[in-house]
Amino acid sequence: MNNSTNFTATEGRLDVQAIETRYALRVAARLTEQTHSLPHDVIERLRFARERARERARQVALRSAASVTGSAGGTLTLGGAGGETGWWWRVASLAPVLALVAGLVLIQQQNDSEQTRLAADIDAALLADDLPPAAYTDAGFAEFLRQAHD
Amino acid sequence: MPWPRWPSPLASDKELSDFLKSVERRAFKRAVYAVRDDDAALDIVQDSMIRLAEKYADRPPAELTLLFQRILSNATMDWFRRQKVRRAVMRNFSDFESPGEDGDFDLLETLAAAGGSLSVESPADSVSRAQTLQAIEAEVARLPGRQREAFILRYWEELDVAETALCMGCSEGSVKTHCSRAVHSLAQALKAKGVQA
Repeated sequence: MNNSTNFTATEGRLDVQAIETRYALRVAARLTEQTHSLPHDVIERLRFARERARERARQVALRSAASVTGSAGGTLTLGGAGGETGWWWRVASLAPVLALVAGLVLIQQQNDSEQTRLAADIDAALLADDLPPAAYTDAGFAEFLRQAHD
Repeated sequence: MPWPRWPSPLASDKELSDFLKSVERRAFKRAVYAVRDDDAALDIVQDSMIRLAEKYADRPPAELTLLFQRILSNATMDWFRRQKVRRAVMRNFSDFESPGEDGDFDLLETLAAAGGSLSVESPADSVSRAQTLQAIEAEVARLPGRQREAFILRYWEELDVAETALCMGCSEGSVKTHCSRAVHSLAQALKAKGVQA
């Protein structure tokens, strides 16, 4: 008995909800009908507002695209943008910087080894010469060399 | 050399335009019901469209409806704040009940009586039809703000209960209550005027 009462109550509530929904949708349909008779100037202003919004969306899209281009540097121009964004462009934008750093390190190392080789050559020449290296610090020998040169 | 392609937003220009076109008239009416001023309503709609375009144009089109409705609600609230019309705010955005509730009003009876009205109504009688539509619109505009907002979002914008609740910043139970009260108020008021929806 109690169960059947509950069932009936639930059923009744669902019925009311369904009727409410049906009525509400009918009112909504009437409201939609009313929007078809909006004044022309209102329709035009809405169209203008829509166009402004679209224009703003385009500007925002261009601005964000420009910022991607800026961070990607020359990679974007040379490689083509594709549609990708995000980490790939960040990595790609680091490549020229890494190449530059690697080049500078290489040049520095070559420079160092060149100087070392020159110093070794001078040392070898001095040691292999008949004249002892201490002679070059002697003031009399230096004077002798200057006179001989003149 | 080919031009580089810009990363395109998820909602394309056409999708955004189509979306705005599909909601703009209802949005305008919704704003009019709230602020009762055509110019202000147009400003609110334009402001909402621009806010959507600026901040959310890169969202998938499916998300635009909910976002726009939320933005429109906020823009309307902003308008009220700017205007500082306290009475208007109280009238439109409070939860007080409409006066003169009739305890023995029977929605089922009203709706049953209205059952065959659509087929009986003569489409040729444009004056009567326009008056009916205006009466319905006036009663919708007269609803308490929260009830009207729930009613419009749920039944006109066809959001579900959860989406309406999200948009209004309240619980789903509150949405159901607001909607039910709105429907009863409308049915009662329209019956009193002899208008059948």
